This record gives sequence, C-alpha cells and structure tokens, in this order.
Amino acid sequence: MTAVVLAAVVGALFALGTFLLLRRDLIRVVWGLAIISQAANVYLLSMGGIAAGTADSVPILAGHGDHVPETADPLVQALVLTAIVIGFGMTAFALVLSYRVYEEHDTLDVSELGDRE
Amino acid sequence: MRLESTLATGAGIEPTTPLAALPVGSESELVIAPMLVVLVAAVGSLLLGRWPRLRIGVSLAGGAAYAVVVAAIDWYVVLAPDAPGVATYQVGDWPAPFGITLVVDGLSAFMLTMVAILGIASLVFSTRVLPEIDRRSYYFPLFHFLALGVTGAFLTGDLFNLFVWFEVMLMASYIFVAYYGGPQHTRAAFWYVALNLLASAVFLLGVGGIYATTGTLNMADLSQRLADPGAYGLEPAPVVGLFALLLSVFAIKAGLVPFQFWIPTAYRAAPPQISALLAGATKKVGIYAIIRLSFTVLADADVPVELAAPGVGTVIAGDSPLAFIGAVLFVMAAASILVGGIGAVGRDSIEGVFAYSSIGQVGFIALPVAIAATTASAELRHLAIVATLVYALNHTLAKGLLFLAVGAIRSATGTSRLSDLGGLAGRSPPLAIGFFVGSLALVGIPPLSGFFGKFLVFDAAARAESAPLLVLLLVGSLLTIAYATRTWNRSFWGAQTDAVEAASVDAVQVGVVLALATAIVAVGVGFEPVYEFADAAASAALDSEAYIEAVDPVEPGELEGGEH
Repeated sequence: MTAVVLAAVVGALFALGTFLLLRRDLIRVVWGLAIISQAANVYLLSMGGIAAGTADSVPILAGHGDHVPETADPLVQALVLTAIVIGFGMTAFALVLSYRVYEEHDTLDVSELGDRE
Repeated sequence: MRLESTLATGAGIEPTTPLAALPVGSESELVIAPMLVVLVAAVGSLLLGRWPRLRIGVSLAGGAAYAVVVAAIDWYVVLAPDAPGVATYQVGDWPAPFGITLVVDGLSAFMLTMVAILGIASLVFSTRVLPEIDRRSYYFPLFHFLALGVTGAFLTGDLFNLFVWFEVMLMASYIFVAYYGGPQHTRAAFWYVALNLLASAVFLLGVGGIYATTGTLNMADLSQRLADPGAYGLEPAPVVGLFALLLSVFAIKAGLVPFQFWIPTAYRAAPPQISALLAGATKKVGIYAIIRLSFTVLADADVPVELAAPGVGTVIAGDSPLAFIGAVLFVMAAASILVGGIGAVGRDSIEGVFAYSSIGQVGFIALPVAIAATTASAELRHLAIVATLVYALNHTLAKGLLFLAVGAIRSATGTSRLSDLGGLAGRSPPLAIGFFVGSLALVGIPPLSGFFGKFLVFDAAARAESAPLLVLLLVGSLLTIAYATRTWNRSFWGAQTDAVEAASVDAVQVGVVLALATAIVAVGVGFEPVYEFADAAASAALDSEAYIEAVDPVEPGELEGGEH
C-alpha cells in the first residue's frame, strides 16, 4: 500500500514539475525544476526500501551481522541530504539568474526572449 | 544492551580494522593529489581577491603544480616500467564499497593529462584577457573549481560521487556562461542551467535505481555484482534501462545529438578561453563516463539483451547490455557527425562554426566507442578505444587552440563575425600559423595529431567491415574540410577590413596559441609514446578485473569475522 501511494506521489510530482517546466513564465520553469529535483529525491529515498530494513536487506549494514535492529537504510538518506543541498544551491542560482534575465530583457516570457535573437 | 552490541560489532568497519589493508604507498597519495592541488588553488585565489597580482600568481602556480602532479601520476601509475597500472585512495581508510574510493588508472590519467595541458593554456590566456573585464571578479577561483569538478569526475570510483563532481563542474560552468551578463549571455545561461538541472534529476533517478537494484554504487563492486548476479541474489534486468538514463545524461554533457541544442548558444556566450575548456575538458567528462560505465562496469555484466546493431557486419553480444549501448551510440554519433558538420558550414561567427564543429567532432569520438561496444573481437575493441582516445586528445588540443585563437581575434579586433573579418594573415602571421595548424589538425593532415586520430577511427570502421560507417566518416571529414577552409579563407585571406586594420594582437595570447600548435605538431611527429599511453589507457578501460582488484571491494558479511 505504501509503495503504491509513494509511486503515485512521485509520479504526480514529476507530472507537475514537467507541466511547470513547459510554461512560458521563467519563474514557473524554475518552480518546475525545483519540483522535479524534489521528486527525484523522494524517489531516491524510497529506493532504500520502504519496509524496515535489517542487515540482510541493507547492504551497508551487512558488516554488522545480526545485531542490527530494524532500521531504515542510512545510505540513501545521506545521498538525499547531499542531493537536497545541491538542489537548493542550484535553485537559488536559477532564481538569481531569472532576475538577471528580467533585468536584461525586461520580460520573463519565454516566447518574447526567443524573439529577440 | 542492544546498543552495546551494536557498538561492539560496529568496530568491524572502523578505519583501524586490519581488513582495511590498503595499498598504502606513494601511488596511493598521488591519486588524491591533483584534487588537493586544485582545491588549494581555488580557495587560495578566492581569499586573495584584494590583491589581483597575487591571485593571478597563485592561480598560475596552481596550474603548474597540477600539471606536475598529473605528470607524476602518468609516470608512476601508468608509464613507468614497474608501474602498477591502477592506484586507489580510500578516503578516510574506509574499505571500498562503504567509503569513498578514488581510483586512477590509464584511462583517468590520459583524460587528466588532456585537462592539464589545456588548463594551463587557458589559464595563461585568461591572465591576458581579464584586465579588460575584471580582475577582481571570481573568475580565477571559478576556473579552479571547474577544474576541480572535472578532476573529481575522472578520479571518483562511485556513481554518486560522479554526480556530485558533475555538479561542482556544472556550477562553475553556469557562471562562466553567464559571465558577461549581456542579454544573450543571460538567456543562454538560463537554458543551460535549466537543461542541466533536469539532467541532474535524471542522473539521480539512475543512481537511485541502480542502488535499489544492485545494492551498491561503487563502480568496482557494481561490476563484480553484475558479472555474477546469481551469487549476490540480484535481479539485474532493470540495470539496462537505468544505464540508458545515465547514458542520456552523459550524452548531454558530451553534446551528442539529440542533446546538442544547448552547445552553440552556451559556447558563444562563454568567454572563448572557457569555451576551449568546455569543448576540451567537460565534454570529455561525458565521453569518459560513457567509456568507464560501458567497459569497466557493464562489459562483463550478465544481463541478456537482444538487439541487433544496424550498420555493423558482426552483430554481437547477447548477454551484455553493451549491445544496447552500442546501438544507441551508433545512432547518436552518426547524427552528431552530420548535424555538427552541416551546421558548422553555414555559421557566420567563428565561435558558431567551432561550436557546431564540436558537435561533429564528438561524433567522431563516440563512433569508435560504439564500434567497441558492439564488436565481438577483443582486438578490434581495443583498437577502437585507442582510436577514441587519440581522437579525443587531438580534439582537445585543436579545438582548444582554435577557441583561444578566436579569443585572440576577438580581443584584437572586437569582433568574431566572419563577415567583418578578412586579411588577418597579413596583420598577424604568427596567429595565422597557429590557426592554420589547428585547422589542419581538425581536418587530419599528417604529420599533425589529427592525422593519427582520423586514421585510427577509419581503421576501426574498416575492420568492423561496415561500408555505411566508412561513407559516414568520409562525409563527416569532407564537411570538416569545407568549414575549416571556409573559416580560414574568410578570416585570414582577402582584403583587410576596418576591424582588422585597427587590430593590435596581444603577443602572449598568440604565444599560447603557438604553444598549443607546437604541441599538436609534437604529438604528430613523436606519436609513438602518445600511442603507447593511449594503448595503456585503452587496456585499463577494458580490464575491469584489474580495476576491481585495485579497488578491492569487501563483500558483505566478509567484515564480520574481521575482529571477532
């Protein structure tokens, strides 16, 4: 059940992100990118397994033998943490850049940007 | 009680465990040295912002130290008579699949060498162009961070760190594309950023899926597990699709058709000496990643794929995902050669010509990879990888030279439009000589480096016994001749235009161009050692056993008996 819900959420996030990415407004495009990268993070997190893991199912815990209590996979969480930080930095940069685009072109409309070749 | 026991067994993978019997020696420290050098240069030049001269001094010293370290790696790890071939550095002494592993083998060393040569040229060039723009800006630190990202991508031994280093490299390149801050620069940068953010998300999907499928991200471990999925209880079928995702990401970085659309605008927007680096170094990261994943990780994978590769006489594989990757690469490379060549012929700005030319040339670089992936013959596979590497080296030198020449032309005349140029040969004969050598290397005239690149690529195609491939390569070469002569004629021959008459060419800029021209001639004339290096690099790329053995990933469960 959790798996289905999670899959639906990830799918919906990707759909929403793609939808926004295809808008004419640059800010929406940045929103789309942010949502897609968060969707990728949720997906990445779910790749560690949804059920509680043990030494058998979580590769990085294998060295601990049987003494590991049921726990989540710590590796994917570390990966997601890194990915979130990178994603934040990139989104901030994209926003600053859109502001700069606005300053240079006086518009945030993609079709108008393209016309001024 | 439970906590205690966890702690007790936790000692199993502590850094001091005897299992972490790592190859500690001079080679081991050498592996991380280029990253440290370039990181120190980056942070050093960042802190010295108030003293522009000192900052440039530190930057140049950093570039020189980087070259020395890379040369040391080339000798001690790859070329010396008793060289080990592969050296690893386990960060923090954690054993392989758990910690971060840095690996250098012939392939990484070859790539690093290209970056070092081009990096120094571009760095020296930058010191002469920048005063006009802004010495106090973050140009030099960013330059080193770009180099850091590229270096990290070549050295890392696991997929997630490859992602991280890609981001480091990209973050610096975003700012360079937007560097001049004018209307077309901001627009180019925005689409460049948007495309790469999307690619990063796709990269994460691939990485996450591979972790879920195989339980590891370490490339050596991955290779080991995919070669024998039964022993590890894996169901490896999704791996082919996940690697297709990764392949699309790497193809974006390499600029292969159909992911080439960002290249012309981005290369035109970035400063020319950075375009040289983008074409010569970051593009090669995409190619490197494709080669590394295809041949070190996937070559022995036991995952059945049923695909017939079109165009090649010997249809192969069957139980290796290489069959699939090879077929896709064939189409991409062929389309790149045509799109890049045809696009380059009609451009009006020199940057435009060379940006499209980059797309075509990367097709030439990727085509032998496709041949190597689909052939059943080990000999041809080896030859094809050598062809790829030699061609890549030539492209790095020639395209680096040409973009720097564009920079010299632009800072002398203020324009790079072919319609505004003419008669540059009379204005600056040394620049003309440098440009001429670069063009000839691109075309592939002996005895320049380009000849051997082109010869090996044709040779690989001929041995694959594929007539369509040969025709394609011939057409691509003719297109190269067409745009190279056209660019040469329109900018260097003919009557001098107003812009050219008023030009004053900077001696140091021309000096850098000539130094690269000398390198191109030297590689062509003394091709023997270069070939040996490329040969060693190709052997390293194809020898996944040596790679696995050097990284030595600990198998799950093996640690348990370590101390208890």
